[in-house]
Amino acid sequence: MYRTTYRALVRFLYRKVWDAERAEDLAQEAFARALVHKPDNARGWLFIVAANMARDDARRAARERRHLTLLTAEAQESNSATDEALEVESDRARVRAALEDLSPRDREVLLLWDSGLSYDEIATQTGLARGAIGTTLSRARRRLVQAYEAGKSGKHVARG
Amino acid sequence: MSHVDDGMLHAYLDGELAPAEAQGVDAHLAQCPGCRERLEEERALIARAGELLALAAPPDREVPPFRAGDVKPPARLWWQVRQPLAWAATIVLALGIGTYLGRGFEALREPETAADAEPARPQALETPLTPERARRESRVTVPGATRKPPAAPASVPAPATPERAEYIARQRAAPVAARAEAPSAQADSVSLDGEHDVLRGPPISVDSARLLLGRDPLAVPGAPIRAVYRARQLGYSAVVIVEQPLDSSTVIEVVNKRASPLALNAVVVAAAPAAQADSMSVAERRRDRGRVADSLAAAPVAKAAARPLRRLDDLEVQISGPLPADSLQKLRRLLQPVKP
Repeated sequence: MYRTTYRALVRFLYRKVWDAERAEDLAQEAFARALVHKPDNARGWLFIVAANMARDDARRAARERRHLTLLTAEAQESNSATDEALEVESDRARVRAALEDLSPRDREVLLLWDSGLSYDEIATQTGLARGAIGTTLSRARRRLVQAYEAGKSGKHVARG
Repeated sequence: MSHVDDGMLHAYLDGELAPAEAQGVDAHLAQCPGCRERLEEERALIARAGELLALAAPPDREVPPFRAGDVKPPARLWWQVRQPLAWAATIVLALGIGTYLGRGFEALREPETAADAEPARPQALETPLTPERARRESRVTVPGATRKPPAAPASVPAPATPERAEYIARQRAAPVAARAEAPSAQADSVSLDGEHDVLRGPPISVDSARLLLGRDPLAVPGAPIRAVYRARQLGYSAVVIVEQPLDSSTVIEVVNKRASPLALNAVVVAAAPAAQADSMSVAERRRDRGRVADSLAAAPVAKAAARPLRRLDDLEVQISGPLPADSLQKLRRLLQPVKP
């Protein structure tokens, strides 16, 4: 369970803290806490704890005005093709902006789904009715694509 | 049945409707061209949203070995301790033991933070794996660790450097997920999770798998099915992994993928930065096209060629496990649909 859930958890956390190392730290810590608490439904529990930690993390970062530097860590680690890295990074930033355009609930549901949770698991975690997940996801997906396309045509940066 | 609303369509496409509901949708789609058209629109929307989220996925890194509470950077330490600290301070003040603040606070802090203390204390963490901790660790990791062959338990009884030993044990477990074409590749570079591009979801029943794939999933006949997982991968509308132990140390994964009816070429064209082509050199353009093709739906096809793959109409089946490629090829020929 550790290996598969770890990846899902990092994927989920990354879209919240936007820092790969931070996301990995938080995922590790969520697992460490799971060891202490030994919850029955470990997978669901981990995501709830992770969501809380990511939120606390964001608050703390805001309080300390320690702006999380966006993606510098990966930029260094990825290969030296800087052009490509920049391109990837700007795509990422656009997706990030589009995600921030969603309502918190829509975003949460979409991120949980994309991290591999089922409708049942998402319903349990968010408190939404299971029957509402499809509707929420359809709205979230539509909004994400629209916001992304709008962002893309809005700031059309020339290459080179 | 009245028309199918968007939420229902998404749940249907996500394979999350109850069988009875899904049949209702099927029945309606069969006689309603309007809803069939919407179904394809929503399918494209789901694929597009998935692509966008994939653009914002974390960089793929090796899963670190699991340790009960990693050593935290000092910055973490203070905030973890801060809240219990504040609590303790309040209690101390309330009790009015002002003079013994230092000692009283220490005494109070202990029970307050007992639950959280472990991850927050570096000294405690760097001590070797005690039997107690090893036991606790194994309790959490082993029952859920369905992917590992039982021959490589995580709870190695602590030798000189237990964490390292555990890491090695995990790396030995890695061939389970190793690509078929490189069964004995250097263990160090073998990815622990095997298929990076396949996002593994929760376990499901064979019936749900059947529903997702629209046909019987394939599996190696004769070997017991330990678990069936749903999974997701770009370019496929449904992915199901059938996990079958062959013996105590060999686990085979049969990956059933239902090809998305979305035309692959259309995806590539949609993502090609045609509008920016003017300012690009030829080399850049070539590289760019290569990258787009790599990152999108073309990738599974290209990679699949090197892996034992079996194709049935819109279903692709891959098999992987810690066996030589020719054994996998043989097994692949044996694959049979799992009949109800």
